[in-house]
Amino acid sequence: MVVLREGMCPGLDEDLVRDLRAADIKTVEDLVASDTEALAQKCSVSYKALFAIRRVLLAQHTAFPVSGADLYEELLSSTAIISTGNPSLDKLLDSGLYTGEITELSGGPGSGKSQVCFGVAAHISYQLKQGVIYIDTTGGLTASRLLQMLQTETSNKEEQMEALQRIRIFRLFDVFSLLECLYSLQGSGLQQASVGGGSVKAVIVDSVSAVISPLLGGKYNEGMSLMIQVARVLKTMAKDFNVATLVTNHVTRGGSGEVQPGLGVSWSHIPRTRILLERMEKTTISHSSLRSATLIKSSRQPCHIKEEFDLQWWSRSKDGSSGKRKLDDTDS
Amino acid sequence: MQRPVSTLSLGSSVIVKLVSNGFQFSADLLHLTALQLRKETGLTQQEALEVLQAVGRGEGGGGGASMTALDLLQKEEELRSIVTFSSQLDTALGGGIPVGKTTEICGVPGIGKTQLCLQLAVDVQVPQCFGGVGGQALFIDTEGSFIVERAVDIATATVQHCSLLAEDSEQREAVTTFTVETILSNMFVVRCRDYVELLAEIHLLPNFLSQHPRVRLLVIDSVASPFRQLFDDMSQRTRLLNGLAQQLISTATSRDIAVVMTNHMTTRVQGSHSQHVPALGDSWGHAPTIRLLLHWAGARRLASIFKSPGHADATVQYQITGDGFRDVEQSEQPESKRPRTETDQSAASQRDDGVS
Repeated sequence: MVVLREGMCPGLDEDLVRDLRAADIKTVEDLVASDTEALAQKCSVSYKALFAIRRVLLAQHTAFPVSGADLYEELLSSTAIISTGNPSLDKLLDSGLYTGEITELSGGPGSGKSQVCFGVAAHISYQLKQGVIYIDTTGGLTASRLLQMLQTETSNKEEQMEALQRIRIFRLFDVFSLLECLYSLQGSGLQQASVGGGSVKAVIVDSVSAVISPLLGGKYNEGMSLMIQVARVLKTMAKDFNVATLVTNHVTRGGSGEVQPGLGVSWSHIPRTRILLERMEKTTISHSSLRSATLIKSSRQPCHIKEEFDLQWWSRSKDGSSGKRKLDDTDS
Repeated sequence: MQRPVSTLSLGSSVIVKLVSNGFQFSADLLHLTALQLRKETGLTQQEALEVLQAVGRGEGGGGGASMTALDLLQKEEELRSIVTFSSQLDTALGGGIPVGKTTEICGVPGIGKTQLCLQLAVDVQVPQCFGGVGGQALFIDTEGSFIVERAVDIATATVQHCSLLAEDSEQREAVTTFTVETILSNMFVVRCRDYVELLAEIHLLPNFLSQHPRVRLLVIDSVASPFRQLFDDMSQRTRLLNGLAQQLISTATSRDIAVVMTNHMTTRVQGSHSQHVPALGDSWGHAPTIRLLLHWAGARRLASIFKSPGHADATVQYQITGDGFRDVEQSEQPESKRPRTETDQSAASQRDDGVS
């Protein structure tokens, strides 16, 4: 709860705050929980005035019930399903990323998490002409790869540049800067961050585990609390501003060697949908760009559906001569 | 939604004092002066100032430094890569080891990890007029594997190579100062014997880098050996490694430095079959941005790109000669995939012409 300050509500003036403080009432919580009658006597204010203050404060800090019908109405009008640009992934996600929800991609090194993030960012910014906020915590964001993906969509340089400008990048490497960034994005209502027209429709955090895992393990407990704070602010942001949130997570190995998403059980409740990405083959050295995606948590589809897809999808050549076209672009 | 004070970057004792005095959200602290805060919570002047600073940063920051993807693209194009002197590997990596990213080189003993590191420590100093980076190198040696004689060999070969290439007056002038002595004097070697020393060194890195702003390459050879010694608590090891990784990435990005680490290989047994995998476990695998795997195929040495956000997986053959890390003669090349990433092809090929 919040600290009591003068001017928070009518009737709460400087003298009263001082008197309340003397009676060890410092926060709204203290005031609400205290016995109003006894307090009125102690601070020598009228019971009525104190009761009124209490009611106003309660009203200020309460949440209002909303009817299911209204909620449904709002859902229909505000929820968007954003295609990832890849048919196999869309199939797993029940046609795409839902706004207001957190979707998680997990997978081992080189399993294609970042590539999927790039692909989604490029697709949203170019095809849907919407803004994307990309929070890069691993230094993996490569703009030349984004450009390459856009080049397969269009050969118009101006459109490519416009699409790139709609992707706003934050590069943060520790959890406190991540929290700072998320809270201030939330405070400014996201839209300040959007550029070049189009509102922000997606927030991508690649990866969320990179900043959190240095805090977990050993005898340190604050890590857990910070992880939940990150989760809370991501969730609130997704819901309040109706953006699709895509986060990536690393994997760990269970006792019997099976692969599972990192960050443990507490985190597993946070994303609404989880997808596990894996390389198709078992050997360490091979060069297939084929990956498999398995749905491991979903509220809409049966779990453990498996889809195969090609990472080259986003840089597929439509006419078989993309390499040549690219060269022409750099020459011109 | 309000920001809880527990998310501020403050010591836990300070946070406990704030919360127990009713300050749960950073907005509660906004209107206070340091003096008021001290009176309310019993913090010291120093702590109170820190709290207010942290709150102010969060409110006024506006989300920290952000840029658009276009800005990033321009920045990427400005930064040059460090050539490896193997034109095939350079092509696969789009010009060499990228500056501003972390790269890990994994491989079995004797495959040439350290040789590649030494080669890079010399290559980073190739003058800009030859298409190089013209920087300095910091070599953190944890295994005692830095052999200065090899560095001299490689430097001599590189100097010779550049002097043969010198054409215009600018290049000829650059060659006069590009000598084995200057190369060695621009290579800083730090010997770390255990993980505490390594972590301490990384912690002090910002100071060193401020004093030597021309450093463009940080080599850690190897990151595995200090962390593969006895560790009582494996989760502690993972935590330290993850923290190290984030620090390195942040250094690489903020100071435009190429960070190159080497890692060992280990055997993972799964049921009846086993395979060679990089050491330090799965979660470390996420730490480097680019992962290069050096391995044998019979008597041939191969380098594979195993993970990279901007390049397709590829395998090239290389050899270790007296002069350093080199291509194999054309006739015995293995079949290698053409990389699909060639964003600045013209720039890359120009650079190849320049030095190799």
